[in-house]
Amino acid sequence: MNFSVPQPLSQPGIASAEDGVVLLDGPNGVALTLTPDAAARTGHSLVSAAEMAERQRAEQGDAN
Amino acid sequence: MFTERFLRGKRGVELEPQERARLEAAITEIRTVDSRTMIVRAGERLRVSSLLIEGFMCRYIDDRNGLRQLVAMHVPGDFFDLHAYPLKVLDHDVATITPATIAIVRHDALDTILEEMPGLARKLWFSTLIDAAIHRAWLFRLGRLDAVGRVAHFLCEMNVRLVSAGLSDGHRFALGITQTDLAEICGLTNVHVNRVMRHLREERLCVFRSSLVEITHPDKLAERGQFDPDYLYIEQDCRSGSSSARLSP
Repeated sequence: MNFSVPQPLSQPGIASAEDGVVLLDGPNGVALTLTPDAAARTGHSLVSAAEMAERQRAEQGDAN
Repeated sequence: MFTERFLRGKRGVELEPQERARLEAAITEIRTVDSRTMIVRAGERLRVSSLLIEGFMCRYIDDRNGLRQLVAMHVPGDFFDLHAYPLKVLDHDVATITPATIAIVRHDALDTILEEMPGLARKLWFSTLIDAAIHRAWLFRLGRLDAVGRVAHFLCEMNVRLVSAGLSDGHRFALGITQTDLAEICGLTNVHVNRVMRHLREERLCVFRSSLVEITHPDKLAERGQFDPDYLYIEQDCRSGSSSARLSP
């Protein structure tokens, strides 16, 4: 048995449009349906958070 | 015989004739219920438990916005609110999905069974533990599987349970649920379920139409849904079906 805690996922989720909404599948158990507006804002928020996380990694690299 | 499907095919706990007779004698009423009818309301004081003879039922919890999560499905043969015997109140609602026939057993009759027939009492306990095992599988399904996996896992589970009840031939069965029910079971929207069903159809794994399910390749569908039927505690030879199954509940 593997007791490892969930790790950050390296595979992206797949977004697709269907009947005027956005479906987000994966990674793992993610299965969301979003309105176009909610999807767009989630997308912007994800990109912004990803840029911040990259900076944090760079700062941690500098500190080490 | 009302208890014909109770514990049928379950590993090592099928009822002995005298146990079945005792359980049959404990039934005080047979009730027919329309579809979409609440049987037990959360918080209601209960003095009886019920065995599902025909039809499909569900347990569900509504969120504060009234959106529903189905947390369990019951098939013929399930003693669906035996939990209410020790608990006396349930924390969720129970309702029919299709028209249903249920057998009512008073809790004081269960008291006597516990005192006089410990072997039967253990089997009743076993049936509630199967419910708990199914709940664990439903948690796994919602927590770890993607949309296609969730639907695949659920349909595989229903197939095996209905094979055990003699209501699936291992490939085809009447499920009596709508696509909205399926969405509420799998934590998906209707649009998402629509696409999943299209995917399963295009992959030639499964077709769900007018509440009838046809699973073309049970093994492949099980693989897609990471479904392992061990948690259902059904004998190996009662899992895969035969042509003698009846296809309507």
